[in-house]
Amino acid sequence: MKRYHDIVGDGGSRILEQVAEQRTRIADGLAAVRHLVAVGSGKGGVGKSTLTLHLAGALCARGLRIAILDADFNGPSQARMAGVQGALLVPGSHKVSLPRTRNGIAVFSMGSVIPESEALEFESTARGESHTWRATREFALLGEILESFEWGALDLLMFDLPPGAERTVQYADFLGPRTSFLLVTIPSEVARGVVARSVAALSKEPNRLLGYVENMSGYYCRDCNTVKPLFVSPDDSGLEIPCLGTVPFDPELARHCDMGIPLAQLPATPVGRALDHVALQLLDALDREPD
Amino acid sequence: MKFLCVPCDSPMKIQSVGPPERGSLSIVYSCPECGYEMAMLTNAYETQVVQSLGVRIGPEGDQKASGSGCPFTAMIPGADEARPVTAGEPIPVRWTAAAEARLANIPEFVRPMARTGIERFAREKGAVEVDEKILDAARDFFGM
Repeated sequence: MKRYHDIVGDGGSRILEQVAEQRTRIADGLAAVRHLVAVGSGKGGVGKSTLTLHLAGALCARGLRIAILDADFNGPSQARMAGVQGALLVPGSHKVSLPRTRNGIAVFSMGSVIPESEALEFESTARGESHTWRATREFALLGEILESFEWGALDLLMFDLPPGAERTVQYADFLGPRTSFLLVTIPSEVARGVVARSVAALSKEPNRLLGYVENMSGYYCRDCNTVKPLFVSPDDSGLEIPCLGTVPFDPELARHCDMGIPLAQLPATPVGRALDHVALQLLDALDREPD
Repeated sequence: MKFLCVPCDSPMKIQSVGPPERGSLSIVYSCPECGYEMAMLTNAYETQVVQSLGVRIGPEGDQKASGSGCPFTAMIPGADEARPVTAGEPIPVRWTAAAEARLANIPEFVRPMARTGIERFAREKGAVEVDEKILDAARDFFGM
């Protein structure tokens, strides 16, 4: 009697082939993107989205072509921060055009199409059992977005990931080995501990782990133009990956994020200089040959 | 998942997929050798797991015929048809076939939001029909 592997195909639906064909369409659509960078952490609330947007801004100011895909479908924040809330998704002859920020960064965020007063919901035949299928549906949606939008020729496509160490690894699996990872932590032992788990999990994947950024490394006081301590913690993060820089917290930057006003140029403050430094370190790490 | 006709030792082929009924699909397979037919009846959880993959279920010809990204749209009578307008709703904006074809490039999940936004843009421009010119104007207006 024939066994599973003796039979070619599945009798008609070609489910595996459909999945493989979508992967090929995604790869084709991203062929002209030089670098794929996922900004993750594992920990929530450490400033992944803020850093993603402002690193994109710093790189854009240096003439690089940048796009952001807000992969946090359940808690999208890029739409508000980048000022593309309510932006239209307009279909072209083959693909869908991406909304852009005032400084030219292309952004897809679920926050452009779903108001903040509404949650992301999928129709389901299995009510009350979303834990069994929800992640699969979200990744299928990510695949549809990747294959449908016009990414074009880019220097960097940055993925703003949702929190969760296990989610970070799921994105590594889904996005494939072309995607490099930049992790974000803050100087708290709790956050560093969670990020360390992400490092451990990602180390088993073929993806490059570029390093980490320590966000909120201090508090930038505009009145006295100095950076003051925000957390009391050891200087050594204990993370066994390169540190690409530290970025102090700046209430003014946070205010800009809330108002959706991207900074055309990073201000000549310690925070602006720190972000610019991290952007350069990121480029340097990307251009370096993998170990 | 594959099905084998044991007496013929031959892989069975999908013949048809019945419309979903309370979350269950009826997928009929037949043996190309002896013609024996059997049906796989899914429970709601099985249906949902496959649906979550974003793939289409059914014979290959049916998959190509469907214009929707939803694997089950083709099986639901009237699922793609426009719903009637109720009082207080804005006057409907027509879509040309070419504009409608372009709209199909948008992932099915976000397509309704995109449609609503483009229709609003068209109304603001005084148009009663979305055609490719309106779509191009929207692209230009939003700096895409």
